[in-house]
Amino acid sequence: MNVIWLIILFSGTTVMLFTNPDGAIKAMLTGANNSVNLALSLLSTYGFWLGFFALLEQTGVSEWINKLIRPLIRFLFPGISRESEKYVSLNMSANLLGLGNASTPMGIKAINSMYEGKDYANTNMIMLTVISATSLQIIPSTVIGMRIAHGSAFPTSFLFPSIVATVTSTIVGVLLVKLLSRITKKREKKDALPVAVKLSKGKNAV
Amino acid sequence: MTSYVIPLIFLTVLLISALKKRNAYSVFIEGTKSAISLMCEVFPFLLAVMTAVELFRASGVSATVSQFFAPVLNLVGIPKELTELILIRPLSGAGAMAVLDNIFTLYGTDTYIGACASLIYGSSETVFYVSSIYFSKSQVKNLRYAIPVALVSTFVGCIVGCLLLRI
Repeated sequence: MNVIWLIILFSGTTVMLFTNPDGAIKAMLTGANNSVNLALSLLSTYGFWLGFFALLEQTGVSEWINKLIRPLIRFLFPGISRESEKYVSLNMSANLLGLGNASTPMGIKAINSMYEGKDYANTNMIMLTVISATSLQIIPSTVIGMRIAHGSAFPTSFLFPSIVATVTSTIVGVLLVKLLSRITKKREKKDALPVAVKLSKGKNAV
Repeated sequence: MTSYVIPLIFLTVLLISALKKRNAYSVFIEGTKSAISLMCEVFPFLLAVMTAVELFRASGVSATVSQFFAPVLNLVGIPKELTELILIRPLSGAGAMAVLDNIFTLYGTDTYIGACASLIYGSSETVFYVSSIYFSKSQVKNLRYAIPVALVSTFVGCIVGCLLLRI
């Protein structure tokens, strides 16, 4: 993220130095201003959904949702804790229902609950990020709305290929994470083995 | 269909809460409270990402980089007019919406380009945004292969989708 951010800022500012020297700072301030507007509207969405999620939890409805997709979650996130499971199930169901912004707070909580004290992401964190970032949304209401606004004769004509595309991307993502985690785990195990042996020996001695 | 699901869940939750004689109001307030601290953590990331995206577009760098990638996209069947959309989409939802709007105005919604653009926007997510926000409250700094995998899979999905649109 750091590298990408630096490259964008560096190249953008350099180019604008030649084309439009006033523009760079202006553009960045416009972006900052946009982010404040977005933050305010997100605050209301987050506020509403977090309140709603608290109700879900208190009434036990979140536990039903959890039970409904537990087998899937157990398969995708091996070794997941009960707490993370709850957040992940709410995050995924909100995503499926097309409530992208509502799913974000649960995604943040899920990632936090998976934290193991290391500064790099573990496989379950990566899996959740990839699943969310490859979009689970079945009906892209924003696009349909924009097509209607532009006077489309068939505003939903792209829907079937779009669903195929989003399902394909999620499946490819899940498979890639499973594959890459296997490859990296083998490497980690090789490195970690001597420590584990030492530890178990130590325990026996005590 | 989805327009019924959420209100129904909402009603169920309210009903159960009333039946169990819990204080739904104070629970809702408690939940809502955490939104403010959450936004405090998330906001710096929002600002940093959106500042960069605006500069990326305004400076014309995104258009230049798009031209560079156009032949590659043409090869896999994605019209070259959509390169900028593909480039901006993982960075910013609002930015991509502006690009999509422009595409609809220029090429119409019911052409192949219009349909492809709808599919690309509708079937993908703001990968960079999602990843940085999800980890915004965590000490984890290294996301390892999360972003490359998400980008590659999204791209594969788009190629398959655009292929289907041509049939």
